[in-house]
Amino acid sequence: MKKEISLIINDIKHDILVESNRTLQELLSKQLDLTGTKHGCGTGDCGACTVIVDGNAVCSCLVLAVEVNGSRILTVEGLKKDRKLSELQQVFLDLGAFQCGFCTPGMLMSAKALLDSNSCPSIEDIKRAIAGNLCRCTGYTKIVDAIKTVGHDNN
Amino acid sequence: MKTFTVVGKRIPNIDIEKVTGDAKYVNDLFFPNMLCGKILRSPYAHANIKSIDVSRAKKLEGVKAVVTFKDTLGIKWIQVGPPFEDKYPLSEGKVRYVGDEIAAVAAIDENTAEKALSLIKVDYEKLPSVFNPEEAMLPGAPQIHEHVENNISVHRVRNYGNAEKAFQKSDLIFEDKFVVGPQSHGNLEPNGSISYFDEKGVLHVWSSTQSPYFVRKELSHIFDIPVSKVIIKRMYAGGGFGARSKVCEDEIISALLSQKSGQPVKVIYSREEELTTTRIRHPMIMYLKTGVKKDGNFMAREMKIIADNGAYNHCGPAVLGYAVMVTSSLYKVKDVKVESYLVYTNKHFGGPYRGYGVPQVAFAIESQIDKIAKELGIDPLELRLKNIYEKGYVTPCGFKITSCGLKECLEKAAEAIGYKDIKKSSDPFTGVGIASLIHCSGARVYADGDFSSATVKANSDGFVTLLVGNADCGTWSNTTLSQIAAEELGVSMDKIHLICMDTEKTPMDMGSWGSRTTFIAGNAVKIAARDLKEQLIRATVKELGGKEKDFYINDGIIQSYKSIGKVKLGESTVQFPLGDAVLASTERIGQSLYGKGHYEPNSEFIDRSTGTGNISAAYSFAAHAAKVKVDPDTGETLLEDFVGVHDVGQPINPIAVEGQIQGAIAQGVGYALMEKFTYDDNGNVLENSFADYKMPTVMDLPFLKTHIVDIVDDEGPFGAKGVGEPGIIPVAPAIINAIYDATGSQIKILPATPEKIYWGIKKDRSKL
Repeated sequence: MKKEISLIINDIKHDILVESNRTLQELLSKQLDLTGTKHGCGTGDCGACTVIVDGNAVCSCLVLAVEVNGSRILTVEGLKKDRKLSELQQVFLDLGAFQCGFCTPGMLMSAKALLDSNSCPSIEDIKRAIAGNLCRCTGYTKIVDAIKTVGHDNN
Repeated sequence: MKTFTVVGKRIPNIDIEKVTGDAKYVNDLFFPNMLCGKILRSPYAHANIKSIDVSRAKKLEGVKAVVTFKDTLGIKWIQVGPPFEDKYPLSEGKVRYVGDEIAAVAAIDENTAEKALSLIKVDYEKLPSVFNPEEAMLPGAPQIHEHVENNISVHRVRNYGNAEKAFQKSDLIFEDKFVVGPQSHGNLEPNGSISYFDEKGVLHVWSSTQSPYFVRKELSHIFDIPVSKVIIKRMYAGGGFGARSKVCEDEIISALLSQKSGQPVKVIYSREEELTTTRIRHPMIMYLKTGVKKDGNFMAREMKIIADNGAYNHCGPAVLGYAVMVTSSLYKVKDVKVESYLVYTNKHFGGPYRGYGVPQVAFAIESQIDKIAKELGIDPLELRLKNIYEKGYVTPCGFKITSCGLKECLEKAAEAIGYKDIKKSSDPFTGVGIASLIHCSGARVYADGDFSSATVKANSDGFVTLLVGNADCGTWSNTTLSQIAAEELGVSMDKIHLICMDTEKTPMDMGSWGSRTTFIAGNAVKIAARDLKEQLIRATVKELGGKEKDFYINDGIIQSYKSIGKVKLGESTVQFPLGDAVLASTERIGQSLYGKGHYEPNSEFIDRSTGTGNISAAYSFAAHAAKVKVDPDTGETLLEDFVGVHDVGQPINPIAVEGQIQGAIAQGVGYALMEKFTYDDNGNVLENSFADYKMPTVMDLPFLKTHIVDIVDDEGPFGAKGVGEPGIIPVAPAIINAIYDATGSQIKILPATPEKIYWGIKKDRSKL
């Protein structure tokens, strides 16, 4: 059964017809061509599909699109401003906080959600924020380092 | 180490798309008329298929193709080659593990495809199954493959030297049994591919493969079409670690469905399929016997390995072969005997996985060393240092050690972890452990050889196009190969535009596995860049005069050491921008400038009758050290500190090298402490989601420290060696040795879960 919903995604308003059982991750990647939000497990265990809904980091595979009718969504594609990388993205790049890149969008969104609520997080704060984001490639050290660096720059 | 302009520098990764969400992986592609492919899998561990009825599935609206074995040419995949081929793309009439592929459908959407699967009627005749390899070897065990007696796919005995005599000369002999379980690659991106047989019968495959070369070869073989009619287009890959280093079933099945339907077909595995049906690290049972002198010298080593193949061979024969060779190459032991068995069981099956059999044998050998150290009253680090070899050594299986930083690695690892302080400390249940490794930089284990190729083209704007056939599955090779090209050619990094991995356009390369990329593909790129440099200089000489030997390229400008013609050095240095040289050649002489590089190291094929051969032209080394604190009341291990010290020769990009080591350490921590698969009585895998198959999160790991020692290898590009795999090998033994140091309890079965540690401590305490 299809329903009409209205969302603001990366500051752009969308009026969409969507199946009731479609997840937010499917809506973003399959229907709206925002393929940055990845499907890693579909059960909320890996965090690859993390986006920010009304300021909160969520696993978009666990959210039905119809549930977020009227919400503000930020995806990885919305991090750039005026076609320039955000500081968070630039630091990830400079410090090598990714390898295969599959977990990276989700990781960036968890980091962004943290930094938006706590601009100078401690290492413990950072670890807790990305505890739900699995990474198989990096061992997390450079990721934590990158987020700490952005936090330090904010100080 | 030498200082270079680009090589050795901390240059950021060139794949910026990975931080913007623009990097496209297979599941991000959508083509017009693309169908969704799904696979029907066996619910039984062992059964004959009496009949398959696909008629109802075919009639379902929206279904465009349903395929079974009858729709294939009945050709088995090659993998490591004869005589080990044992699997068809779809079951030929027997299934051998829960998840074995029986049929597949392509439909207009996922829901329709899944509904169609449920309409396929399969009539099974269940057979008794066997899940334990030692049971599977016994007479009377269920026979899994008709042509293989006692389920023993491979049985080899390797005698390097004379272990029996050497045991007689030993003062003490140690015998232990070690068991290591399976491990999932745990790639964040589930397996998947898109295939399309076009109107001309050309097969296009979009895949995250680590080796387009092998996929092309296999698909050509299975579909009986010329290799040039198979084009592999490589996407970004969400992981690798060996999972995608050979052809995967999804590539064959998506191609088959496309052949049948005439439309592009995308097959993407669910996480459950990814965990329960794709390749795993081979579980092994190892019986290890070591003879030593009272002063600690290792005299003899004998190991019996029973490797659990799972239901099919895949690369098992090669994995086991390499593990056997390394068993003879860890530390200086001249007399080694290894008897190995590769045994079929009715479970998901092993394949190539970072370390290729070595994490298993290294765990056994390195763990036992600490027990030997305790018995002899020698410090474990000292015992290792006493028994390491140096450059110039040839291991019993024939590995020629041309550069070796083992001593430096061990000493640095101990220093970095604070080994002496932890040993002296009276902190209860705190301990330190250390372990080392040897690993190849590429390996001549397949009949195809061990080569890579590259092409470099100079453009009239001074930019350089680098074409490589190698695969970056997150290993940073796009960046490091560009650095090698830039350094050799004399241009800045931003002038290199790298194109990789379209088999129609890029040169042939055997792929990204075996820690070969930096060493072998890197050398191919260096040769190509040097070839181009010489052509550019020749074009310059033709244009300006002078002698070739007097020219060099720096920062994209061709310059001369000497004055030429009327232009005197000092008055105005001879400067000829690279782009101008290209124009001079293409426009004045009509000659395009392409540098070609092909590199195949001077290594040897493994001699299959003796198990010897210098299969790699260089070997990497490392030592890892772990500090743990164990809670005796719960058995939980807190990994307080970890350091990995590596000999990688000249690091092309230190950020990339550190990242590889850290990632490998994390994967090793999972292997050591938490990752496992358990099977019910019917062979079902219980850990079918990330909720149950626990991989390390950031909470499980300390800040992972790395160091690179100052060693270069003359054969490697600018002195570099491989680093992709080594980092995982010493992790488990370093941690287990630390737990042993902390508790007095030696865990011999991985993973070392809290339950094992808790009961181990209790048992060992009760002996006191």
